[in-house]
Amino acid sequence: MKKKILIYGAGAIGRGYVPWIFPSDSYELTFVESDKFLREALQVQKKFTTYITRDGKYEKLVCSFQECFDLGEESPELYDGIITAVGPRQVYSLIETFSKVDCPIILFENDSRLPSKLKTLTGKDNIYFGIPDVITSNTAPVNMLKIDPLSIVTEDGVSFVEDGASLLGGNISYVSKEEMKKQWAAKLYIHNTPHCIAAYLGAMCGYQYLHEGMNRRLIYDIVEGAMKEMSQTVVKLFDLDQEFVDWYSAKELARFSNTLLCDPILRVAREPFRKLGLQDRLVGASQLSLSTGVIPEKLILGIMTAFMYDESSDDDFNIRILINSLDPKDFLKIIIGLKSHEALYKLIIKKWDNSIEILGEIKK
Amino acid sequence: MTKLEVAIKAAVSSGNLLLNHYGAVKEVSGKESLRDVVSNVDKLSEIKAISIIEGSYPDCVILSEESGLNAPDSGEKWVIDALDGTVNYIHNFPFYCVSISYWIDDKPVIGVVYNPHSNELYYAEKGVGAFLNQVRLSVKNCKLENGLTAMAFSGKAYNPKMRTTEFKIFGRVNDLSQGCLRTGSAAMNLCYLADGRFSLVLGKANKAWDVGAGLLIAEEAGAIVDFKVIDKDKYLVSYVAGTYASKEAIEAELGTFF
Repeated sequence: MKKKILIYGAGAIGRGYVPWIFPSDSYELTFVESDKFLREALQVQKKFTTYITRDGKYEKLVCSFQECFDLGEESPELYDGIITAVGPRQVYSLIETFSKVDCPIILFENDSRLPSKLKTLTGKDNIYFGIPDVITSNTAPVNMLKIDPLSIVTEDGVSFVEDGASLLGGNISYVSKEEMKKQWAAKLYIHNTPHCIAAYLGAMCGYQYLHEGMNRRLIYDIVEGAMKEMSQTVVKLFDLDQEFVDWYSAKELARFSNTLLCDPILRVAREPFRKLGLQDRLVGASQLSLSTGVIPEKLILGIMTAFMYDESSDDDFNIRILINSLDPKDFLKIIIGLKSHEALYKLIIKKWDNSIEILGEIKK
Repeated sequence: MTKLEVAIKAAVSSGNLLLNHYGAVKEVSGKESLRDVVSNVDKLSEIKAISIIEGSYPDCVILSEESGLNAPDSGEKWVIDALDGTVNYIHNFPFYCVSISYWIDDKPVIGVVYNPHSNELYYAEKGVGAFLNQVRLSVKNCKLENGLTAMAFSGKAYNPKMRTTEFKIFGRVNDLSQGCLRTGSAAMNLCYLADGRFSLVLGKANKAWDVGAGLLIAEEAGAIVDFKVIDKDKYLVSYVAGTYASKEAIEAELGTFF
């Protein structure tokens, strides 16, 4: 008998990647999607195509699913497992749902603190952190979209999930909390940090896809430099071995440059304020870097590019208003929450004008 | 820079000036009543805000608390209170702010309130939304009995007979809610409604420069806001603003507020 999986979010990870780890011979997939247009399109088609990039080529999977519900229409207690890939801010809307079910709930969300927060809020222990170590675009090249407008492209990645959820099976590496910690450090700082820096640099230059920016030497060098700074930091902080970090870094640079993926910059760069959080992948990462004695030169360039993100459709579109109106010191103090005595605050202020100049050169 | 950006720049610059002079007020003089006072810092802060606005919009009309109108009112104007909560400020009570709004006809369309002591920057633009620092504000529907409320009184000199009525309303709201505060800053009251700390805010015959920005910020955050310019010459505004449930409850109890 096939296991039934309920997936919240039919976006990049949910639609593009999850079908590869829960194959149709053993699993039945059902989606919950709040985006009306996407949901209705899925309801009409009842299937979609996801492509995986392997050895420079695409492999195709046509995924048939049971249903695609609007939020609130589903009956979560009917499923053997729940996956979320809705974004860290949105996952809080599922608290009531989580409190009703006993099956494993895997959070494929970019925030390792979420499981413990949600365990506290729901009073349930069946919530596990998952790391889909993969880049998945939320769209596909035009020729694929012509065949199936719901096509999506993913990389051939690996998923790590806390071993408490192992009953669910699938193509997942179920690992200990210790191993999760190591994988998360690598994912957060060697993947997420440079990934969003690549996106902000690409956005600043007007590119649509991540690989287009990575083709520019100046952008590639900043991304690679930021990755090096973070690699040095995580080796010191999380006791990761250098060989693993070097392998991970090389893999990431290749992923960011993957021309088959067509990873939209809008997707990676979205919600810059979240990424600029004091504990998150830009400011938080730079603080960690400084704490280990690594000077975050390229990371600061990345932070500055995020400050300048100018996208009117983004939830955090107001970053442009604030950066235009506030003095740098006020922006760092009031908006970012850095204190004037902090080393990172001082370093960003010291490098502000020079960073603007460097970014101006790249933009030309 | 856009008008919103200029308003933010002016509010924060004036706010920084207030913070630098906090605890060191040198001159205080009375205006209409014991608690209607002005300090040397009010004036410095106002000069700062005006200079920034005029730097970007040289021919604009500005109505400010200490200087009044700088030109005939053409329907569109900046309205500035460079220190709302002066009494709090001079007594080192850190609940004060700079309030700057831009009005078209009799309605604010841009509003910025900055409390430099708490690093809280509220801003809104008509139809765009309201924000506290980087976060979009969204008022939740708190019931009157579950919420904290606030009221701002008219100046003592405005209408002495109205005082008794105001105190009665204050007492009634206090009993119907988890408390009614008189904070000393009408602008901050409205911002606290916008960010969910208050569920209902009322004001009788407040000055337009005190509340213009806050009214828009509360409304754009999703509060139900009713206000009326009750005296155009004296720039007086009465208002009741709250969550849907709180406003409905208070109107059922007190009838129309104006």
